[in-house]
Amino acid sequence: MSAVLEKAPPAERADEQRRSRSAVLALALFEARKLLLRLPVLAMFVLYVAWIGWTMRDAWTTFPALQDVDRATQTGPLLPALAVLLCANQAVLRSRRQDTDRHFDVLVLEPWRRTVAFALSVVPAAGLTALLVAAQFTWGVIAPGSVGHGSVGELLVGPLTVLLAGTAGVLLARVVRSPFAAPMLLVLAFFSTLFLGAISTGSDGSATRWLVPVIGDASSKTLPSDLLGRPAVWHALYLFGLALTLALAAVLVNGGRTKTVAAALVVAVGLGTWGAVGQAAKVSKSTTDARVLATLNPAKVQSCARHGNSTYCAFPEWMPRTGTWAEVADHVQSLAGGTAAQEKLLVRQRVDARYGMDGDGAIEPSTTPYQVTVGTRWGGPRVPEFAAAVSSVLVTGSEKASGSLCDGRMVTIMWLALGWQSDPLTQLRAVRLDDSVSGSAIVLSPTNPMSMTAEQTTVVRELLTAGKVTVAPKVKAHWAELTAPKVTTAKVAELLGVKAPAGADKCV
Amino acid sequence: MTTTVSAAGLSLRYGSTHALDDVSLRLGEGVTGLLGPNGAGKTTLLRVLATALPADSGAFTVLGHDPGTTAGRQAVRRVLGYLPQTPGFHPDFTAFEFVDYVAILKELTDRGGRHREVRRVLEEVDLSDVRGKRIKKLSGGMRQRVALAAALVGDPGFLVLDEPTVGLDPEQRMRFRELIARAGEGRTVLLSTHQTEDVAMLCHRVVVMAGGTVRFDGTPAELTARAAGRVWSGTERDPAAMAGWRTGLGAFRNVGDPPPGAELVEPTLEDGYLITLDGMAAEVAA
Repeated sequence: MSAVLEKAPPAERADEQRRSRSAVLALALFEARKLLLRLPVLAMFVLYVAWIGWTMRDAWTTFPALQDVDRATQTGPLLPALAVLLCANQAVLRSRRQDTDRHFDVLVLEPWRRTVAFALSVVPAAGLTALLVAAQFTWGVIAPGSVGHGSVGELLVGPLTVLLAGTAGVLLARVVRSPFAAPMLLVLAFFSTLFLGAISTGSDGSATRWLVPVIGDASSKTLPSDLLGRPAVWHALYLFGLALTLALAAVLVNGGRTKTVAAALVVAVGLGTWGAVGQAAKVSKSTTDARVLATLNPAKVQSCARHGNSTYCAFPEWMPRTGTWAEVADHVQSLAGGTAAQEKLLVRQRVDARYGMDGDGAIEPSTTPYQVTVGTRWGGPRVPEFAAAVSSVLVTGSEKASGSLCDGRMVTIMWLALGWQSDPLTQLRAVRLDDSVSGSAIVLSPTNPMSMTAEQTTVVRELLTAGKVTVAPKVKAHWAELTAPKVTTAKVAELLGVKAPAGADKCV
Repeated sequence: MTTTVSAAGLSLRYGSTHALDDVSLRLGEGVTGLLGPNGAGKTTLLRVLATALPADSGAFTVLGHDPGTTAGRQAVRRVLGYLPQTPGFHPDFTAFEFVDYVAILKELTDRGGRHREVRRVLEEVDLSDVRGKRIKKLSGGMRQRVALAAALVGDPGFLVLDEPTVGLDPEQRMRFRELIARAGEGRTVLLSTHQTEDVAMLCHRVVVMAGGTVRFDGTPAELTARAAGRVWSGTERDPAAMAGWRTGLGAFRNVGDPPPGAELVEPTLEDGYLITLDGMAAEVAA
């Protein structure tokens, strides 16, 4: 007895098709509910939410750039993706493992349609991931002082990773009917990722680097969004095409050899390939040129705003932040004496974008008089760092001159930078590389770091403890002596009325 | 009898073994018992009729649908309820979820209607109170009733039950018989069993199989009648009898060809079954 293809009357066939489609949807909903309630999936989603909370705990005070926040959403979804892969695989194998095959094989819904339902059942998990990604990103958007632009492509990576993992689990179950296959796949995927990482040069043009779902960056710096050069949309297309290909391949191997499935598979492979080719392309010349321009001649692409006496120039995405910078600069300048108190500063935002996110380059100190560099990050230690940059320019006249400073002026610089703060000792700790308030240390700044001797630290600490009301008049009164080249720390201490340290300044 | 299921010349071989050898039968509404020893081909026949297994040759129809075509096979599955021998379960599903799952696979797509139907069949098998319990927490008898509910969901016109009372205690078996009897009202039920009591109590018709062929097809009374005059009582087991055993009253009950003057006793269905199995040339009733 052999099966013969026989066409039912069109109306009846259409009705059967409609019923089958509805059954697929009903089964997908049933399996989706089961999947989301599986303990590993629940646990991983809880962990993921905790991870979001942990990574975003400082967002309210760190003035996030949205082009960083979007990429930061990509690692967390690997947790539910892992669980979804394993549990989707187990769900497909459930009938075989629990011996319901003999019964279910004679039920109406055809096996390939059940595979469609299993593939669809991972969509709500991907949807839930999308919601959490959206929540994480929204948290960044509404955080005070957030700037920049997120990319839909980058935001889609997390949900698509979950979708890809789920469809991989379904396909695997249809190809290898063993519960051990999925854990083995995870191990294989881990080592493949390591291998791909090893053979990737890290350059923008590396095709293999983008084959894994989540792509990290060599650098943690923040760049204007138009200089990132990440093929985010292509990568999202690649992931979507790949997930669709795996799902349709599972349907095909399970007997779904219909024209619709075949055509959809061709489209899916096309989408995945299109995305893979697109993401493998080198960074465009226009982006490379824009990176060089932004690095070497930022004035060409920046906008400027005046606040008080000073001018603040920034990449367009950071223009809303110039007021915040001005507040800090005004505070510092208000403590200065002589002409420095009225000096017209040019605060310019600078980045080294030449290597994109593939490398870090230090920003050279500016040689232009009274020009202060400000970076692309803000909040936390970045505030006293900028304040130190402003005060160093007010004291020495330029950033270049501050870098080689080795005398008592360092005391004045640090007092100007921190004396106006409500908790200056905490800020002193924040701006020093070793987080200390005693001994010698490197002081961070947007360009080259400065250094403080142990004696200078002692004097600065005493001045900060004495308070602004006591010290500020003395600074203004003795401004010329305090900012004279080669003034000793002992002399500065004496002028400001604190105990003078013994010995000459010895810089590291 | 209005024929609802008819099979003609069904044959199936596993290697050199004839699992089914030119099996033909006609079934109508009500419960038909399928009796036979292990390896008789009962389960194979049920699996073929349930479209789980294709026969090598022959044909059959179920409620007018021919499973020889793809569309026909789907049509048969739409009117089929199947309870396999020792059915599997998803132990982490509740009874409701399991039956609901089967209902979805039977393409009962309207959610509200489907849930009503699931509640109805669970009510029918007296499991309403435990429908929210996980299957792993249910007793063997309850699980078997879950499987019956899964077979009944969607109100199939043809119900195939493969040894559903195996492993049940007497009370559970009685309860199950009630359920099967109820299920047989207005639909065709084919019940495979080793228990002649099941057939005696439930079936309006009985088919006896052995060696892949049908050895008897008729009413239980006709099967019983085959043993008329061939069962006798004695003080000892008659060596010429094909079967003999001591009864609870102490006398021996012998089945076979009685010696002259033997004390004949009223035959039972089991006696008829034994006679049928022993008489390899027994004619197949039409």
